[in-house]
Amino acid sequence: MHSADPRLTLSSSDLRDCPGPEMMAARHLLLLLSQACLLLETGSLAAAPPLTASEAPLESPHFTACLSREQETFRCWWSAGSFRNLSQPGALRVFFLKKNSLSRTWMECPNYTASVPNECYFNKSYTSIWTSYCLQLRSRHHNVTYDERCFNVEDIVHPDPPVSMNWTLLNVSRSGLHFDIIVRWEPPPSADVKAGWMSLTYEVQYRERNASHWEVLDLETSTQQSVYGLHTNMEYEVRVRCKMRAFDNFGQFSDSIFVHVPGKVHGKESTFPVTVVFIFGVVGLAILFLLIIFSHQQKLMVILLPPVPAPKIKGIDPDLLKKGRLDELSSVLSSHPLCKAEMYREEPWVEFIELDLERMDAAEKTGCSDTQRLLGLVPHLGSSHRLAAKDGDLGRASCYEPELSEADPAVAAAFCLRPRVTSPELQSDRPAPDAGPAPVAGSAPDGEADGRPVIQTQLSTQSSVSMDFYAQVSDVTPLGGVVLSPGQQVRGPGEKGEGGDGQPLKNQKEGQKKEGEGGVEKEVPLPLLIVAPDSGAYTSELGNRQIGSDCSRREAFQDPPAEMPQPPPEKNAVEQFALIVPPAGEYQSPYFIPPTPQLPPVADYTVVQDVDAQQSLLLNPSTPPPPSMAPVKPPPAMPVGYLTPDLLGNISL
Amino acid sequence: MFRKLKGPVIFLLMFLDVQVIVGSTPICVHGHTGCQTLSLADLFDRVIQHSARVHGLSSDLHSEYEQYFLPSKNKISKINRNCHTSYILTPNGKENAQRLAGEDLTGVILKLLLAWRDPLSQFHRSMAQHEDFTSFSGNKALEMSDMMHLLGMISNSVRGLISNEALGPQASSSEARPMNDQQLLYCFRRDSNKIQIYLKILKCRIAPEQGC
Repeated sequence: MHSADPRLTLSSSDLRDCPGPEMMAARHLLLLLSQACLLLETGSLAAAPPLTASEAPLESPHFTACLSREQETFRCWWSAGSFRNLSQPGALRVFFLKKNSLSRTWMECPNYTASVPNECYFNKSYTSIWTSYCLQLRSRHHNVTYDERCFNVEDIVHPDPPVSMNWTLLNVSRSGLHFDIIVRWEPPPSADVKAGWMSLTYEVQYRERNASHWEVLDLETSTQQSVYGLHTNMEYEVRVRCKMRAFDNFGQFSDSIFVHVPGKVHGKESTFPVTVVFIFGVVGLAILFLLIIFSHQQKLMVILLPPVPAPKIKGIDPDLLKKGRLDELSSVLSSHPLCKAEMYREEPWVEFIELDLERMDAAEKTGCSDTQRLLGLVPHLGSSHRLAAKDGDLGRASCYEPELSEADPAVAAAFCLRPRVTSPELQSDRPAPDAGPAPVAGSAPDGEADGRPVIQTQLSTQSSVSMDFYAQVSDVTPLGGVVLSPGQQVRGPGEKGEGGDGQPLKNQKEGQKKEGEGGVEKEVPLPLLIVAPDSGAYTSELGNRQIGSDCSRREAFQDPPAEMPQPPPEKNAVEQFALIVPPAGEYQSPYFIPPTPQLPPVADYTVVQDVDAQQSLLLNPSTPPPPSMAPVKPPPAMPVGYLTPDLLGNISL
Repeated sequence: MFRKLKGPVIFLLMFLDVQVIVGSTPICVHGHTGCQTLSLADLFDRVIQHSARVHGLSSDLHSEYEQYFLPSKNKISKINRNCHTSYILTPNGKENAQRLAGEDLTGVILKLLLAWRDPLSQFHRSMAQHEDFTSFSGNKALEMSDMMHLLGMISNSVRGLISNEALGPQASSSEARPMNDQQLLYCFRRDSNKIQIYLKILKCRIAPEQGC
């Protein structure tokens, strides 16, 4: 920073050359001088006090300013201070000394400006740049030096303000609220910039019309400056001043120019409501959307996240049974390919089976079971058949299902399949009419006349053996007649129907004891497996355990094992009992006939004693457990009407 | 900083060799092919920028020195200063400078540059000794040393090209009066301003395209 004499304040330049702004400066100077004169100063020749009117009144004459405008000439002004008597021209004299010259004589001011009082003007011949000047303010005669000032001319250069300022619109912002301009000017004409004698830097300032603070922009070497970020519809005042490069003395400000760009008044006002409407619309839509979501939350959840369907397992829905909807259950079972339960309604032969309901009731009262009646042991109810009484539960349960009561009771009773076959021997025992066997016989119009005697024989045979509670049905005639066999299975397929027929009674017994007389053929007439839900003896092994009620089991257990025909391969006895698939498709057996493996010929039936842990039937406790009994599990054949909820556990269709 | 004066020095050398200045002069001085040609105006601009920078630095140094070390301003002491480069005849006014021929003006510039080589190194040494100086000089001292180095290079290279007559009597280091730092700074500031203005005048006379 160039350290200028603080007393070298900025003063007006040569009035003769440029009257414009210098008039203002001269006016300022005169004002100051007048203020100084007002202060009655009778002072000494002390150093010049600061140039303020409000200061102490005693103020000696002093130099007020020395200034050069173009670095070629310079002027100096002084003031008389408080000394009123020295204010007239000529009272004070200025002497100067150039340091570079060898002469040490002080020379007087070469030119006292005539138009301007108290001004000394040094023209080009007297002005030497890079030369130290010393000026002294002396009195006229007394050689009293009031003030002395030394400086270099280049240090007191204050360039003139730039001229020819104008502005050009650069651009207007898209919103129409801001604009940019570029201001151009010309360097002061007094400064010889073209010759390179002076290098100027400019400073642009702007402000709003009525503001008090000026915005100052950075120094600019070129003669143009861009102003950014001005507001439209607002008047701006722009001015510029200059200084020499690397020096600190600014010149006067140029005349201000006014910048005004009319903006889009309507645009600003119209965008506001549009924006407000837009915001409100968006908010409203958002609220509506949220309401919709929350009101239909459940549905949306289902749509977005559909519930995983439960696995559809083929079977019967236990809920159906729990709720007691048998109709649905029936429909379900009927729809199953294996279930042909509906067919039973159409069975013609079933209709022929008439049940003596009265007798049945009577028998029920007396505790007779179907088996008892089948065997013709009804009149022999006694202690020995006390157990049979417990079969009554079976019968009752099988025949008198509460659900079935809704259905055709006759049909339901028909399932009991109680062939009222009475042997001639039994007939005498039974007071019952032949209504029972009659239909049975009638149902076999095919000439199964032997059925009756066979049955009778069977019955009679069975009756002799008190422990035989079960009659083995060997065949079912196409017409629906049940053919009971004495148990021998040595008959071939052709002898199926008569396999047991021709056997005498005696042979029956033997046959039971032995493995089986005759050829043990692979293909044996599969005895009809009467599946009573309660009597689980003839059902599968699993069914044996779960389906069978206690009665049957106890019944089975309480049979004297010795009396029971238990051939060695009794392990396969169970498998023997299977439903006979009717050869002809005239009617369809209501029962399932599971495929059974080829079994060695054994007794037609046996009684299961126990089921061991491996779920194998123990027909004889002494016999070793059957090795591969467990895997063979023929599915139980069960009529639809006999299903109970607790049976469902083992149903695997 | 003197690195930046390399430009004007190189130009001055070429100017001295070639009496006539053409429009564009290649700036490749090492003989490389495919050099980029730089217009004279651009070269001048660079030179002037560097000289302005030098002058600004000197002004800052001078004002700071006065601020720290001479709180009481003694204006009289300013008068008595006599720079060691006073013997160099330099034009003190605009007409005088414009009347000078280009070669003379260039010679004056070179004289000034050469005259300041030793004092600047001396100043740098003194500054290193003065701990107070380092507190305020900082980067400026570094730049001053750079200026000195450049001046040294310039003087060595110029001595070979410029005849002794053009240079005139040189002030040897022995004759140089020991200057205090303040005077040195004052004088250097003044002389750097001279160099800047002379270069500007040269430029506006030779290549007045831009910035004139």
